[in-house]
Amino acid sequence: MKKVVVLAPIDPVHDIGLKMIGRGLVEAGHEILLLQPDLKPDEIIEMIFSREKVDILLLSRTLGYGVGELLARFIDLTDAAGLRSKIKIGIGGMAIRPELAAELGFDAGFGPGTTVEEVICFVEGREYRPDPFRSKKSKIDMTANYDYQYLNSSIGEKLGRISEMIIDWAKNKTSPGVKRGILRDELWDVERWRQRLGNGDLYNYYPELCSEIPQKYYASGELHPQTRRFTIEEARGLEKYLEETKARMSVLKLQHTRKKPLVFNQYGTGCPFMDIGHILASEAWGADGVVHFDPSWGARTEGFLDGFLTHQEDGTVITPANLNRIHNSLEKSTLWQIRAHRGLNTPETVVLAGKIGADLTKINICYGSLGAGTDPERMTIDGYHSILFAQKYNMPFDVVTNEELAGVPAYKAFAGMLIVSDLAVRLGARPILQPLFAYSPEVMIHEYMEDNFIDFNAGKIFALRNIINAPIWPGAPIGFLTHTEDRVQSATTTALHACLAMSLEVDAISIASTDEAYSGGPISVPAKIDTLRAVQDSFRFFGKAGIHPTDQADKYAEQIISGVEETLENVLAAGDFVTAIHKGVLGSREEGAYPGRAGKDTVTTK
Amino acid sequence: MINPQHQIMDALDVETFFVCDNEQQGRNLMIDMLKSWGFTDVDIVFAQHVGPGTRIRGRAYAYRPADKYAWLLREAAKEAE
Repeated sequence: MKKVVVLAPIDPVHDIGLKMIGRGLVEAGHEILLLQPDLKPDEIIEMIFSREKVDILLLSRTLGYGVGELLARFIDLTDAAGLRSKIKIGIGGMAIRPELAAELGFDAGFGPGTTVEEVICFVEGREYRPDPFRSKKSKIDMTANYDYQYLNSSIGEKLGRISEMIIDWAKNKTSPGVKRGILRDELWDVERWRQRLGNGDLYNYYPELCSEIPQKYYASGELHPQTRRFTIEEARGLEKYLEETKARMSVLKLQHTRKKPLVFNQYGTGCPFMDIGHILASEAWGADGVVHFDPSWGARTEGFLDGFLTHQEDGTVITPANLNRIHNSLEKSTLWQIRAHRGLNTPETVVLAGKIGADLTKINICYGSLGAGTDPERMTIDGYHSILFAQKYNMPFDVVTNEELAGVPAYKAFAGMLIVSDLAVRLGARPILQPLFAYSPEVMIHEYMEDNFIDFNAGKIFALRNIINAPIWPGAPIGFLTHTEDRVQSATTTALHACLAMSLEVDAISIASTDEAYSGGPISVPAKIDTLRAVQDSFRFFGKAGIHPTDQADKYAEQIISGVEETLENVLAAGDFVTAIHKGVLGSREEGAYPGRAGKDTVTTK
Repeated sequence: MINPQHQIMDALDVETFFVCDNEQQGRNLMIDMLKSWGFTDVDIVFAQHVGPGTRIRGRAYAYRPADKYAWLLREAAKEAE
C-alpha cells in the first residue's frame, strides 16, 4: 500500500542519503516529501501538520555532536504534538546507531551501511531480510581456457625430456604412501561410508602400511595426544548452528567489474567446527575458495587416523569424517582445495579429496623434497601417483614454489614447478602455476625490490606467460614476508598485492589474514575478514584500471627465463631427476634448501 | 540472557592508544586491562611506541581450537529444548 513519507535532514547540508532513499521509495511506489536541510524540529512538525496525510517521518543526521540531545528534544516535541501515535518515525545517518534510536523512542534507527531496501521494508512494515543472492556466484574452473602450449619451445623441449626421464624412473616403483592411496582408491566406497555402511575391506590392509600413531589408533583406538573426539552435544550443536546460519547466509563477489582473480584464503585452526565458523565468515565476506591446512605432523606420519576429531594446535587433522563435515558446510559456489603436496600422505590425500568432493588439490615434488622435509625419491614416486589420482578425480592442482622462502632463487623454484607441471600435463592432469608474490631472501639479497614490490612479482608472471599458456594462481599467501603484526599494514600489503595480481589478470590469489605475522595464537576470524574487506575495497577502487610495472619487470622476466633454461639443462645433465634434487640443481644447501629425510628408503620396486 | 563473551567465535581484539612512556609499559597496561575484564588467555598482537604513547592491539582468546564453544553448545541446548 502506498505510503506518504516525509524526509527531513536535520543537518545544515547533508541530505545525500535521504535523497537516495527518497528515489528508492518513489521507485517502490510511495509518495515522498523531501524537506530542505537544517529546519528546526518545530518547523518539521509544522510541515507534517500542514499535510493532509503523513504515514512516516524519516529523519537523517550525519553530524555527531549533540545528536543525543537533539533527537531526544525532537521526540519530546512529537509527543507533545500528539504525533507519536499517528506516524512512524525513523532516524538514520552516519551519526546514528540503532541502539541510540531505540533508547530515545524512535521506531527504527539506521546506522552507517544501511541499504535503501532496508528503509523501504521499514516504510512498508515488512521484515528486512538481506538478499540471500547478494551475489550469485558459481564455481569457476580456472584451467578451462588454457591449452598448456609452450611459447618457449626450447624450454618445452627440455621439460619434455625431463618428464620422460621421470616417467621411466617411476615405472616399477612404489611406496607405502602409494599403496595406501591405491587401497583408498580401490577399497573405500565413499557413498557406502556416508550411508554408515562401513569402510569395506580397507582397514584389513591399511594399518600395516601405517606408522606408529595410526597403527595404535587402529589397534586400540588410541588417539594422537593433541586430538580428541567430538561429543554428541557438539555434533548436534554444529548441525543446529549450520541450519540457522545457512538460512540467512549469502555470499559476496569481491571482484567488482572484473571476473578475476578468484580469492582464496586458508583455514586449519585444528578444529573442524571452528574451521566451519571461519569458512562461513570467509564466504560471507567474499572468499571464492578455501584451502584446508593439516597439521605439520600429519605430513610426516604414514597414514591417517579415522573419526571425527579436533586438534589442539595448528592444522586440522585429515580424516574422512572431518573432511566430510567441512564439505557439507560449504556454500555451493565455494571452491575447496585440500593440500596434498608435501608429505608422506600425498597420494591418499588426493584420493580422499577427490572422493569427498574437493575441487582442487596441491602437489609439488620439488617443494615437498626441498622445503618440506620429505625424501626426494619418496616425494617423486608419491608425487607421480598423486598426479595420476588428481587426473582420475578430475581435480586441477596448483604447484607451489614455496622453496623460495628458504632462499632458493625464483628461477630454480620455477624450473621445479614447470617440471611437475609438464609431467602433469603429460599424465593428463591440469596443473596451475603458483609463483610467490613475496619479499623473498633472494629479493632481499639482490635488492630486487629496493624501489617497489611490483616489478619483480610482475616479472615472474611475464616470465611464466612467455614460457607456457597455463593458469596462474599467485600465493600462498600473496605478499609473503611483507606482513607485520600491525593490522592496518597487514591488510594494506595484502590488498596492494591483490591489486597487482588483479592488474596482471592472473586467475586466482591466496590471501593471508591480518594475523599472518602473529605467531602467539590461532588466526582469528576478524583477522580473516580484515583482508577480505581490504581486497574488496581495493578491487572497487581500481575497477578495470590497474597497476603498471616499469620496464624493469621485463628485464626480471628475461633473467628468470634464462635461469629456468639453464636449470633445466643442469637437471638433464644430472641424468636423473632425483639425483638432480640431491645435487642442489633445483635449490642447494647454500641457498637454504635441504633434501628431506621423511620416508627415506621406503621406495621399493614392484 | 546470553553471555556476550560466550558468543565470541574465537578471540576479542582490543585496539587503543595508551599514554605511556615506553612500549613495555603499554604492553603491561593492555595485559592488565584484559585480565581485569576477566580474560585469562591474553596476549599482545601488536604494539608500537612512538612519541606520546603506544598504539596497541591486545587479544583475549575466548576459545582455542578444541575447546568446547558455548556458541555451539547453546545451539545444541536449544535443539534439546
